[in-house]
Amino acid sequence: MRFVFYLLMMFAVALGVGFGLSYYALTDGRLFGVAQAGPWHAWPDVGSSAPNPYTRAHLARTAQFELGQAEGLQFTATTDSDGQPLSRDCSYRLDGTTPLASFWTLVALDDTGTNIAVRDVAPSLRSSDVARGNDGALQVNVGTRLMPGTWLELAGSGPFQLVLRLYDTAVFSGLSSNETMPSITRGDCA
Amino acid sequence: MTRFLLWLAGGVVLGGIIHILVILAMPALTQQSVWTRVAAIEADNRMAILEPVVAGQPNPLGLDPEMVYGLCRVDLAQGPAYIRGTLPDAFWSVALFNQAGMVTYSTTNRDGIGQVLDLGIFNADQTRLLAQQQIDIAEGTLVVESTTDKLLILVRLAPQQQVMRTRFAQALAGISCSTVAP
Repeated sequence: MRFVFYLLMMFAVALGVGFGLSYYALTDGRLFGVAQAGPWHAWPDVGSSAPNPYTRAHLARTAQFELGQAEGLQFTATTDSDGQPLSRDCSYRLDGTTPLASFWTLVALDDTGTNIAVRDVAPSLRSSDVARGNDGALQVNVGTRLMPGTWLELAGSGPFQLVLRLYDTAVFSGLSSNETMPSITRGDCA
Repeated sequence: MTRFLLWLAGGVVLGGIIHILVILAMPALTQQSVWTRVAAIEADNRMAILEPVVAGQPNPLGLDPEMVYGLCRVDLAQGPAYIRGTLPDAFWSVALFNQAGMVTYSTTNRDGIGQVLDLGIFNADQTRLLAQQQIDIAEGTLVVESTTDKLLILVRLAPQQQVMRTRFAQALAGISCSTVAP
């Protein structure tokens, strides 16, 4: 009887560890091939012709047109800089600089990858359209409620993620001197 | 207690093996790939312009709303593929995707190419014929060797303003993309 209990326990642990670790590796992935810069994360190997097995599995899971290594790199943030999940109930402010790139674009997506910008305005922001401080740092407001300055206006409610694509960048290649990403600060919440 | 810990350790080791198997098997087991997602698009030997991203609409290919995308599907078994044309003076890039959805080659116009896109894609056999000068190519053609015959060629073009989008899409649609029998 004890043998059967131990056997069942071993299989339960094995299945929990095996599939749980796989799910974690492909959603968060912090320990397995994902590069982290503040609240932003990226798969640096995703545009490579010979990606590592975790990136290969990530590619199979997303099935999207990823940026090639020469083209750029996509960063995603699902939390603010304090680690709180991004929610459309709150307003957010992006401050700081991006790594050197020809330009960048910013979009907000829901869990399914659908763009959640308000329909009658541009669905994304481009680096050339963004207000900057005297030191060149970008200042972008994101949320559903009216905000001053550069504002990515969102629609609906619920969680969301921010995707920042750097085009023609050397970040994580060892050639970039600046690998800091903008901070995401939560403002007022409904 | 020792026996319990040994069984627990056995479960963790077995879990690690399951984890490795899942990660390695995932690309083979997945039913969706970028290749199947664009299967319905008529892009065989021609540059098809992808629909722009609209807020509130699904975006399964993960496209950037700021970009205009041109897609061409080629099979190098029919001969080397050539992509030729002139693009507007803005950032553009080219990426080759194999059937697994991996980028096998990418470049941008910042790499000294300028506005003229002139790319020749060859498989290993065709590259050998090229080296033996049994295939003629125009001077200035950027030669790319591909390890697989079936490829998706994705051109990204970045209009500086959204009002330029239609003109940029027309320019991208004018790019020739086809295989040529050797």
